[in-house]
Amino acid sequence: MNRAVMALAAAGESCGYGTTIEFVGSPKEAAALAKKQEKLVLVLHVSGHFEDPGLT
Amino acid sequence: MGALTNPDVGKYVNEHMVSSFQKVATFKIVGGNKQGGNVAAYFCAPDGRVLHCVAGPVDAATFLREAKWVVETAKACIKDSKGAGAKFKELFRTAHAEKLRREFGIVVPAVTFDPPDPQDDKDALTYRDPSGQPLAPRLPPPPIDGPDVTLTDAKFEALQKAAAAAPGNRYAECRSGKRVVVTPQGLVHQVMAAHCLVPIERVYGTVFENILGEKISTKPVDVVTPFSWVDKDGNRIRR
Repeated sequence: MNRAVMALAAAGESCGYGTTIEFVGSPKEAAALAKKQEKLVLVLHVSGHFEDPGLT
Repeated sequence: MGALTNPDVGKYVNEHMVSSFQKVATFKIVGGNKQGGNVAAYFCAPDGRVLHCVAGPVDAATFLREAKWVVETAKACIKDSKGAGAKFKELFRTAHAEKLRREFGIVVPAVTFDPPDPQDDKDALTYRDPSGQPLAPRLPPPPIDGPDVTLTDAKFEALQKAAAAAPGNRYAECRSGKRVVVTPQGLVHQVMAAHCLVPIERVYGTVFENILGEKISTKPVDVVTPFSWVDKDGNRIRR
């Protein structure tokens, strides 16, 4: 497994951006962590001029 | 309250999933002007193949219900497929068709055989944007057989009325020519009944263009922050 991802996970470096969900830096990192932790991956695609404070 | 700020959603998602985000450039033309912007949540296997999707903003209860469904369905399909990948795909697509029938009263056949992939970017099967660059394909949904015949007319009408009240609903034509009301989430199940376990880069174009009605203009890109109006700690950014 990628050492950088391991370090990230160990350091607990994930951010919520005002949500209750912890996000890691990229889908690639998420996939590597998910494989290690036997979890699924959630990928959020946010598009265009979407600006709905109700979402977060 | 939005789904993503809900404590129950956060607890469940953080327990069962590792989350990330990307930005996709999309737009639609309204009154001659480019408008747009939306959100789609993809539940994927660790190799990036999409198991399920929530198209558009939804409330916390809906998001949590869909998240729980995908986790429980994945567990059941892993158990029943006994480690066989093709069987797992077949079971998951059938589960989408079944959920569409159960929740919306609409029957589609699960497609359990995939046609050959394009050989390369220049292959005739590869979708391209007008500049000639291959972008995300728009995957064809399986045809709608029609309403679930085990439902009474009154029950189906009640489901149709509920669908007609959902944002983003539209008409879809069945094989028989009958028109039924479908919601974005119903369309997700229709597409997933034929295309779940397909890589996310082949699915997102269908979700944004066919389901959410927004034209995509770029491939997904990693960004520093998913929501332009809040910072990393969730504080509102003043402009």
